[in-house]
Amino acid sequence: MSLTVALSKGKLFSGTQELFRRAGLPFPDGETRRLVVSLGELRFLFVKDKDVPTYVEYGVADCGIAGRDVLLEAGSDVFEPLDLGFGRCRLVVARPAGSAPATDGASTVRVATKYPKVATGHFLSRGMSVEVVSLAGSVEIAPGLGLADCIVDVVETGRTLKENGLVEVEDVALSSARLVVNRASFHAQRAEVSRLVETLERTLR
Amino acid sequence: MNGAHRLAQIPAGVQCFVGEEARRRRRIEQTAIGVFEGWDYEEIIPPLFDYADVFTGESLSARTYSFVGRDGSVLALRPDFTSLLAKIAAGRLRDRPAPIRLYYSGEVVRYEPPKAGRQSELFQMGLEHLGGDPRAADAEILTIAAECLDRLKVSGFVLTLGHVGVFTGLLEGSDLEPARLEDLRDRVEAKDAQGIRRALAGADLSQDASSGLERLATLAGGPEVLDEAAEVVGGCPAAADAVNELRTVSEALDRAGLGSRLAVDLGEVRGLDYYTGIVFRVFAPGLGFEVGGGGRYDTLLARFGRPLPAVGFMLGLDRVALLLARQKGEPLPARAPAEAVTALDLGSALAEARAKRAKGARVRFGSEGDR
Repeated sequence: MSLTVALSKGKLFSGTQELFRRAGLPFPDGETRRLVVSLGELRFLFVKDKDVPTYVEYGVADCGIAGRDVLLEAGSDVFEPLDLGFGRCRLVVARPAGSAPATDGASTVRVATKYPKVATGHFLSRGMSVEVVSLAGSVEIAPGLGLADCIVDVVETGRTLKENGLVEVEDVALSSARLVVNRASFHAQRAEVSRLVETLERTLR
Repeated sequence: MNGAHRLAQIPAGVQCFVGEEARRRRRIEQTAIGVFEGWDYEEIIPPLFDYADVFTGESLSARTYSFVGRDGSVLALRPDFTSLLAKIAAGRLRDRPAPIRLYYSGEVVRYEPPKAGRQSELFQMGLEHLGGDPRAADAEILTIAAECLDRLKVSGFVLTLGHVGVFTGLLEGSDLEPARLEDLRDRVEAKDAQGIRRALAGADLSQDASSGLERLATLAGGPEVLDEAAEVVGGCPAAADAVNELRTVSEALDRAGLGSRLAVDLGEVRGLDYYTGIVFRVFAPGLGFEVGGGGRYDTLLARFGRPLPAVGFMLGLDRVALLLARQKGEPLPARAPAEAVTALDLGSALAEARAKRAKGARVRFGSEGDR
């Protein structure tokens, strides 16, 4: 029986391609427009990055590669046996340079984010009430336009924040690419899953 | 919302089954009940609602549909059967000697985010074994679970065994703050070895305990995992006892011919406020989540005033139905065709229909012009 792997063509694509190549595993050509590609023992599904945990949790894909940031937001019940090391970034709280910290100021923090669940949890666990403005992108412009006091977003280099007049004030979480595995596949297709996990693990060492 | 629109709509989270789908479900239910009866369990039909505080723990209370009764008491629709059965066994059945074997089959209601096989209204079939020799009861429950799946013709199923005592045993004597403990539990559950290491960074734990906890991420596989586990937790008596319990049960099941159905997963650490010993889940190819599961809960009955060790098992009928549909096994046997009874005269037609029914035939009664 073969394994189905869910991937996205987003920012983790080149790192995944590189890892599979080094591991000697088959991998689809990046140019293909097909969304389902079978190569040898593996079948690849190309889906949106935020949907990878969903495909794996439901068992439509046995495995997948997703950022820890996406997994935190999805809250999916999947195994995460390997940190693949690439796609490193941080989830942070950022606010306009020179603005007052939220902790002792306004009673409610207004936060713009693509990660509403993570952002809500972060502020509530600090005993602060929070109003989340959920956006699909360009989150960095929200504070300057008065839509929010701050943002929760991923940063890699920090350049986008700086160019939009924002500074990091707090870390929320660290992220990197993870191999995720469906619970049922892990046990019901143990031999195939273990082989893939071990191959990737050896390559990472 | 417009009233007419509302009348046609069905609330999110509930389902309605008609005809063949309903027949499939009844057949599954009858198969499971047949197995429960075959192992000498007695049926119990508990109330649909009870006082809300019966259903505490296991994060159930947050998912309970509760309401205020006429006398001001807070009531809740049953979100599970186990608490109700524990209450009844400790109360109404308090004079009945242990072991007590009970089974149930019916709906429970929970607030759930709608997901496949996870509606707000769930149909559960399960049993509880209260009192008696714990290892024998654990082995019996697992054997019954396997028989249910065999008789339901689920192919390729696996029973994954864990034991919460491995995790709690490794942490014995340590004093982790609740947030760190929850983070650690979550990372063990995800089999994230590096996450476990990060969660333990700076914690006041012995080297044996820390490395043991980290190994929980990879202690999953065939029963041979128990040998490796025994070495890993050797320095920690409580965890070693847990591994021994698992070994006793798994060896007995193996000798009974169920070895090929068993897997071990020591990273299984859900429901720590509820389970006290062996825990297990049932997986099968074709469904991405478990079709059932269970475990030992030795402290629940004491809450109701009758301390008895207990172990239970539950199958989700909704999930079994989904799994069987995906596995495309045997089709549902066709019903015998009904004999049409029609006549010009109503009285004689009814008499004819009654006569056929007395002989056991299926009849379709109608007047001329009906189809």
